[in-house]
Amino acid sequence: MSAIIKTQRLNKIYEGALRGQDVHALKDLNLEIPEGQIFGYLGPNGSGKTTTVKMLLGLIFPTSGSIEIMGSKSISSSTIKRNIGYLPEGAYYPDFLQGEEILAYYGRLYGLKGKDLKRRIDETLEMVGMQRARKRLLRGYSKGMRQRIGLAQALISDPSILILDEPTTGLDPIARKEIRDILLRLRTEGKTLLISSHELLEVEMICDRVGILFDGVMQTVGAIDELLIQRDMLIEVDGVTENIVSEVATYGVKLEDRIGTRSKFRMEASSSMYDVFELCKSKSLRILSVTPRRESLEELFVRVIGAAEAARR
Amino acid sequence: MNGIVSFFSGPAYIALYTYREGIRKKVLIGFLVLSLLVIFGSSFISSFLDPSSETDIDLKLIKDICVTAISIFGVLITIYISASVVPGEVESKVIYTILSKPVRRIQYLLGKFLGAQMIIIVNLLLMGVLFFMALYLRQGVMPTLLLWSLLLTYFEFLIVSAFTFAFSCAATSPLVPTIGGLFIYITGNLTEYLKDVEHRAGQTGQALDKIIGDIASALHAILPNLQNFSIKMQIINGQPNDPPTDVLIPNLILYGLVYCLAGFACAYLVFWRKEV
Repeated sequence: MSAIIKTQRLNKIYEGALRGQDVHALKDLNLEIPEGQIFGYLGPNGSGKTTTVKMLLGLIFPTSGSIEIMGSKSISSSTIKRNIGYLPEGAYYPDFLQGEEILAYYGRLYGLKGKDLKRRIDETLEMVGMQRARKRLLRGYSKGMRQRIGLAQALISDPSILILDEPTTGLDPIARKEIRDILLRLRTEGKTLLISSHELLEVEMICDRVGILFDGVMQTVGAIDELLIQRDMLIEVDGVTENIVSEVATYGVKLEDRIGTRSKFRMEASSSMYDVFELCKSKSLRILSVTPRRESLEELFVRVIGAAEAARR
Repeated sequence: MNGIVSFFSGPAYIALYTYREGIRKKVLIGFLVLSLLVIFGSSFISSFLDPSSETDIDLKLIKDICVTAISIFGVLITIYISASVVPGEVESKVIYTILSKPVRRIQYLLGKFLGAQMIIIVNLLLMGVLFFMALYLRQGVMPTLLLWSLLLTYFEFLIVSAFTFAFSCAATSPLVPTIGGLFIYITGNLTEYLKDVEHRAGQTGQALDKIIGDIASALHAILPNLQNFSIKMQIINGQPNDPPTDVLIPNLILYGLVYCLAGFACAYLVFWRKEV
């Protein structure tokens, strides 16, 4: 799959007022985001995520290196910008405007007018579930509704690329689920999404690929399924007695939970599952479920950042 | 033609939005209400004076208070709005949502500047209308001279606005551009004195005085002379429907536009590679 966003040896140095106060915010960043995928851009505060996003949008300029979007290096050109929608974190939208007025304003900046503009306003409001609140002033919106209007302004031109900064932060679980569903729907429509976020659970649920940035350096990047290592297996069985518990321990299997005759055993991912199956069969244990458990994104994040911090020390 | 229309449509929408947002600012409304109270109150104050006096002292008082109020509150509104339209959007992050769209930085600046001008003009007109009505009701003659004065006052504000705007594009908060705008307004009204400084410094023949004289001369040449736009004395002492004397309106408009262009060019030079 071709990369729709590509950076090569991208560097950003913020010059300080005095010598020695320069901040090297981004170091030789090579990033490739394939078309039609959701890419989770992760990292602790100050790692360089926002710097990268701002450079992609032409809000700040690289010290060195190159950026290519949709095969073009002229990222500030109207053609490229027409294909990018951006939702900044915590942006303010004026209270005195109605939801649809905000969209009309941003739509006009994309050159939309007349019926096209009206159609796009209807479509985006429908997509973010704000049709009924379109005539309401923003001052009457909840945080979730504001976030959805923010998402709608990013979508108003029907862009191919969406760059979203913390799209679900501060939202209640229902609003999060709704935003998540919208983002997944956008992926099925073929759009490419770059999500910069601290909400690792959300990212794990919707992203195809992630990149973890620390101290301006990309520490790891790849498909989530490849990055998250399989940790262990959880086997739930029925008909367990005390003798069997001690017996299975010799197979590298540990009891994790037991209620009556039902028990949950945990075994290392490297253990032979067939041995356990044989054991269960020989002891007339009924296998209720077998669940392979992999590392969570949060665990991966902590592991990667921990290693990077240790290497820096 | 299509290119021109499409180039200016973005700034037009930004200007309209800036105007709609700006007229709701509480500080601005406060300035406007105060100025209207002062203009309205001038008639009340003048009622304590002897209306039968041949010198029309009560009328002169009304005119003096109103012209001064328009000038002071008008410039405060001008500086406040010009200093805050860009830093305000940086602070609220709205600028990210605009500059990430197909809007060039020059279009953005043009839109914000035009929006600020719309706010300044509307405020000036509101103050002017009340003053106009006060004079008309008091004298029974159309005070057309006041209209010329309002026009010239606007071009004076335009210069102050353009340079305040330029300061604001370099700053991260409205404080520095506000100070810059006040500096331009004050020095712009004192440029006549620079000529005196130059003249006096040249008389001593000392090296230091010569340098001071040269600096004064350079500042006199560079800084706008805002006193050129004032016809306050004619308004106070002259007939309300006289044409303006001692000023060449077209020349002053051109003078104002040239300085405005210079201020806007400075704003663009600062902003075109600014990292937001």
